[in-house]
Amino acid sequence: MGKTILVVDDSASVRQVVSIALKGAGYDVLVGTDGKDALAKLDGRRVHLIISDVNMPNMDGIQFVTEAKKLAAYKFTPIIMLTTESQEDKKRQAQAAGAKAWVTKPFQPEQMLAAVSKLIAP
Amino acid sequence: MSFSDDAAEALDIFITEARELLEALEEGLLSLESDPSDTETVNAVFRSAHTLKGSAGLFGLNHLVSFTHVVETLLGHVREGEVRATPELISALLPCADHIAQVVAGVADGRLSASAAEEAAGAALLDRLAPFLPGAFHAAAAPVLPEAVVDARGWRLQLRFGPDCLRNGMDPMSFLRYLGTLGTVDRVHVDDSALPEGADMDPETSYLAFEVDLLTDAPKPEVESVFEFVRDESDIRITPLAASSYVDYIEAMPQRDRIGDVLLESGAVTPSEIDQALRIQRERSLTVPIGQVLIEEGLADPAVVEAALTRQRKVADSRSADTQTIRIDASRLDRLIDLVGELVIAQASTTMAGDGLEAQSEVTRLIDEVRHSALSLRMVPIGMTLRRFERVVRDVCVDLGKEVQLTITGGDAEMDKALVERISDPLLHLVRNSLDHGIEPPAERVRCGKPAQGSLRLNAYHDAGNIVIEVADDGRGLDRDKILAKAVDRGLISGSASLSDAEIYDLIFEPGFSTADAVSNLSGRGVGMDVVRRNVAALRGSIEVESVRGHGAVIRIRLPLTLAIIDGFLVGVGPSSFIVPLDRVTECVELPPGPRGRDCMNLRGEVLPFIRLRQLFGIPGESARRQNVVVVEQSGQRTGLVVDALLGEFQTVIKPLGPLFSNLKCVSGSTILGNGDVALILDVGPLVSEHTDHERARQAPIPVG
Repeated sequence: MGKTILVVDDSASVRQVVSIALKGAGYDVLVGTDGKDALAKLDGRRVHLIISDVNMPNMDGIQFVTEAKKLAAYKFTPIIMLTTESQEDKKRQAQAAGAKAWVTKPFQPEQMLAAVSKLIAP
Repeated sequence: MSFSDDAAEALDIFITEARELLEALEEGLLSLESDPSDTETVNAVFRSAHTLKGSAGLFGLNHLVSFTHVVETLLGHVREGEVRATPELISALLPCADHIAQVVAGVADGRLSASAAEEAAGAALLDRLAPFLPGAFHAAAAPVLPEAVVDARGWRLQLRFGPDCLRNGMDPMSFLRYLGTLGTVDRVHVDDSALPEGADMDPETSYLAFEVDLLTDAPKPEVESVFEFVRDESDIRITPLAASSYVDYIEAMPQRDRIGDVLLESGAVTPSEIDQALRIQRERSLTVPIGQVLIEEGLADPAVVEAALTRQRKVADSRSADTQTIRIDASRLDRLIDLVGELVIAQASTTMAGDGLEAQSEVTRLIDEVRHSALSLRMVPIGMTLRRFERVVRDVCVDLGKEVQLTITGGDAEMDKALVERISDPLLHLVRNSLDHGIEPPAERVRCGKPAQGSLRLNAYHDAGNIVIEVADDGRGLDRDKILAKAVDRGLISGSASLSDAEIYDLIFEPGFSTADAVSNLSGRGVGMDVVRRNVAALRGSIEVESVRGHGAVIRIRLPLTLAIIDGFLVGVGPSSFIVPLDRVTECVELPPGPRGRDCMNLRGEVLPFIRLRQLFGIPGESARRQNVVVVEQSGQRTGLVVDALLGEFQTVIKPLGPLFSNLKCVSGSTILGNGDVALILDVGPLVSEHTDHERARQAPIPVG
């Protein structure tokens, strides 16, 4: 069984492309449309890595990371934030919340895969 | 990536998204033409271009990225106020939007890179934009990292990971494994000298350090980037294995830092000063902000850096604030809710058909879910409406010379958008009323031993399928005797009537009632509490007052969550059907046989007046042999409705009555049953009070004069 990655982004195309890239690399993928949805999707499930956008409706990425880190099951789960060049401060906030890794938008699927494989094996 | 079927599907999504973004872009540009100073539109236009570029990058559509990048940069300058959105600029930008649309159409046709014609057209358009761009700008210069040529055999890495790296989900082994993808890991030495003895060791802490020799052609930045996620907390040194000529590539790789950009653009520092600061920052520690480095090295004035930081924060704040909401075309939602209404009717017809119970229950469950999710689309938090009263309270307090602290709780309770809009006026009236009549002037409050500052509390919460909104103050409370006297004076009640407190308080909602001796221009705007109650009732809600003399009053509005569908109770009278809103129904009993005289019966020792619907609506024919009574409750008063048949609960889709029937009391709407028949929805409030008045008139002696 492959490792499971949760992808959280409010843009359908980002979710789709990232999912395809990750599935192609042999990972199982769960998707969430925003922080709230993602928390519901986690639901104690075994997830090896979380990829989350920052700006999302309902619950933004920073809040989502903060909440997820509070849950024992995801205390040590590596988290990649999707940031943009102009969001250095958001990135810092995310790091403070426990999301130490990031990929800067716009990114190519290869960049995403590289970041993922720095953190976990397929 | 290759464009497999899945990817093609993703590309479809992108194209749809891109078209929407382009529409928004064009619309925004056009409205900017008429109002160039509208910052919200400028933001929206910029974001459209920015998002478009971001998504295009994801698909490797570099021609789209590089073109859109220039447009985005220019719009960025407009947003920062450095370039004015003149009609000339708009006329130069609009064809760019058209060009992007064309390229997107090309992508939709399967062309994933620019054709020669597109390239030429794009270059011509960018040339037209060039005069608007401040400073030297290289067309099509999307941020590209400089290519570095390296002449080293490889690198020696000394890695001491931060003690918390495991806790952060960062596994050192994983990075070492990834390092292997850059070249050959020639030698790994593990330094476990920091590892404590047995009991002192914390398994969650990282103690190990590594020395790795990596044979590779990869330049230093690339090797360094392997550890970018842990660089902040770890000590990482990368030195060339071969001590040959080696360039510090960091110098060649300017960090894209907003602060730096801001300072650069404002002319406060030069690019070389920024590079110098970045180098120093890198040598020391990345956790030191670049601004601090600039100040410490005497490269920039602290005040300038502070200003730049503030601006950066402001930009980020505004961006996060306006992405929080989703705008949905209300008419589309209305349509969806209409459709769901039809679905519910279709489901009702299968229930009536009788067979295939299991299939039916599934359909019922599904439809229930669809109903909930569809309605939730129109649910909005009430907080926005409540927070608007902050301003009202402040203004009114200034007018009246009162001090009032407004507290809002439960602002995230959600309700139907249509309801939120229509409840705002009645609420405004209640708030003004509390401020005007409820809360005393500071001097009087102090005399009564209360704090000079009054308190007004708006609270919203969900309760059994309803939303409750409370307006509570800690003022005088209602004056029972004064209300009573006034009601007698106005002829609303007879002097001898004995009423409970609740009944007395309820009188303030009667038409023509006002306790204020002098009508101030605040509450006395020609609308009394009766109008508030009428408005609330029109939303199928109820209102009640609770008050303790001298300690304040709470006015509680109870509303259904939505207007579109209610849970009803279906009853039959002869050939006609009626719906009684289920939340009004308390119980059903059989009508005891007896003489047809007075319309009341004994319900567990209490007198229950009832209304014969057959008589009320003039339905011809004989009543059934066994009749039933549906007991409904309205403002604490119970009344029976005599019907022939109890047909059970029924999810009722409300169809409003035509304008011809707008004056009809007792009936609030209609619905269509599964068999196509129309049933009227009874409006219990007016039905009961109408009847009670009628009864009272019949029983009481008619006053002379």
